[in-house]
Amino acid sequence: MGMTMLGKGRKAISMILDEGSFVEGKIDGYTLPDIGPGAVIGTGSLKGRKVTVIANDAMVRNPRFPVVYSGVIGMEEAYKMATTVYKMIELDKNKPQGEKRPLVLIVDTPGNGPGKVEELFGMNKATGAYQLSLAEARQHGHPIVAMIIGRAISGAFLCHGLQADHILSLSEEFQTMIHVMPLAGISRITKRDIESLTELSKTNPVFASGAGFFYKLGGLEELVHNVDDMKDTIDRHITEVYKCNAEGNSEKCGPWGRGILGKERGGRETRDEVIRMMYDEFAKVEAQYI
Amino acid sequence: MRKWEEMQERSFYESTARERAVNLVDKGTFTELLAPIDKKTSPHLPILGEAVSFDDGVVTGVGKIGNRPVFVISQEGRFIGGAVGEVHGAKMVATFRLAQQSYEKIKAKYPNDYESRVPAVVISFETGGVRLHEANAGLLAHAEVMEQIQHCRGKIPVIGLVGSKVGCFGGMGFVVVATDMVIMSDRGRIGLTGPEVIEEAMGKKEFDASDKSLIYRITGGKHKYIMRDAAYLVQDTIGAFHKQVAEALKMSYDEVQSHRCIGSLKLVEEQLELVKIAAENNFKDATDVWAYFGNKKSDQIQDQFYDEFIREAKRRPRR
Repeated sequence: MGMTMLGKGRKAISMILDEGSFVEGKIDGYTLPDIGPGAVIGTGSLKGRKVTVIANDAMVRNPRFPVVYSGVIGMEEAYKMATTVYKMIELDKNKPQGEKRPLVLIVDTPGNGPGKVEELFGMNKATGAYQLSLAEARQHGHPIVAMIIGRAISGAFLCHGLQADHILSLSEEFQTMIHVMPLAGISRITKRDIESLTELSKTNPVFASGAGFFYKLGGLEELVHNVDDMKDTIDRHITEVYKCNAEGNSEKCGPWGRGILGKERGGRETRDEVIRMMYDEFAKVEAQYI
Repeated sequence: MRKWEEMQERSFYESTARERAVNLVDKGTFTELLAPIDKKTSPHLPILGEAVSFDDGVVTGVGKIGNRPVFVISQEGRFIGGAVGEVHGAKMVATFRLAQQSYEKIKAKYPNDYESRVPAVVISFETGGVRLHEANAGLLAHAEVMEQIQHCRGKIPVIGLVGSKVGCFGGMGFVVVATDMVIMSDRGRIGLTGPEVIEEAMGKKEFDASDKSLIYRITGGKHKYIMRDAAYLVQDTIGAFHKQVAEALKMSYDEVQSHRCIGSLKLVEEQLELVKIAAENNFKDATDVWAYFGNKKSDQIQDQFYDEFIREAKRRPRR
């Protein structure tokens, strides 16, 4: 097909939202701080429904932090993202559960800021803060749907994507990349030759890279095979998450829900055995502790 | 295994995960859950020809400190650098779930007197983050742990300890700062990106990955204490960590929470002010940051002994 959305976060926003509805830098009346250009944030409507959007802009550099470009999430970007989520929670504070506005994450990021000043001031805190804010938004009932259009790499995917209720990804013909480390890096660190790793990766989803493998592990809810379907698919998943929450099944969504999905799809079966065994063993000694 | 009393004097840094787990809680109270005898090993490592460990590099269990059940997660750096795979991650997640289930049971059993009996989660971090041999499962497990920490908010104190050889890096660097309270020793280290990756991104002139002293200054316990990423800096003994955890469990929940560095809009705004300071100053080294926060003899801090450092250190002001 040859088509790709890599680096096209802004284009994706316009494809997903209703025409002309996106207002950048605003969450209702609140104006976001003018920092973190690598994060495009705003409010728009998706099939008439008001949503908050957080996307990566891979085409800009952060003038204050030289390692932040090409969609990298730096400290400013991550705290701006976290601020957005907390503001959204605050603005919808008095709304009933089923009316909390959804959050759409458009994901195309290669990593967190890999710099000295980032380590000194705590890149880990910045993206950790964003992850906690997303987990809190879910607790309040804001549906969060992530749409991977390009790169969803390691720690950056952890913070911008993996806390969502549902995760969708364009399929691999769109050159989407989902992994912790490419095979060459895994080869170096595990001291296994790349040929045998490549061979193994055809059947073993647990270390290989790619959207299809993440699907098998329950790391994605759905693959999207046509860019024009992104809008409808996201809308459908928002509705599903609302329904899940209304039925009191919020744990079927989000990271824990994807653990269940991993078992159903046969990619991660040991996780569930471990958890059950731990429960059983604790039950036997519980009286000593409770 | 040596006696609990002797182990309190032992170096935390030198101790195994199991030694830490058993001796961080009150004497004789620790029960390991999914112990090596269960032989629940990684199904993925053998496919890559790697040896397995019967605990998959993490000791999980429950003990008591005073009246309170303490759920313990203790990572073992000697096994693949303490990295998190499917089994290791599931053990962490299950421990958090057990703490939450216990909280509900205790609340039902002692409706008028549950606060002094509330469980806690204590994590002794020693990890490089995701285990690359099973990277995708490891990454998904990280997200689950983060979610569980948020689920404990408002109920169960979660305390992170860092003072072991490997430190706490990669994705677990997010997890540790998401806990309510971080306790470190001078020898502990916290970071996100590995030095080699930073060198590659910045160039060797700006950041030399072979400069161990520089990396230690940036990631070490003293820097994290000055920045208040670590609430407490303790001596390098299991007993010192145990004592600080026991102190924390005497605090009200709100007091424990007051040591958080992230987890609310107010805290994010506080951190953003620090990022502004970072953007406006051309800090080349941790010593520049220490000087900025009022440490006059910043070049001597790295060599200071514990007592002198604690007495003299100027920490970043809170908002």
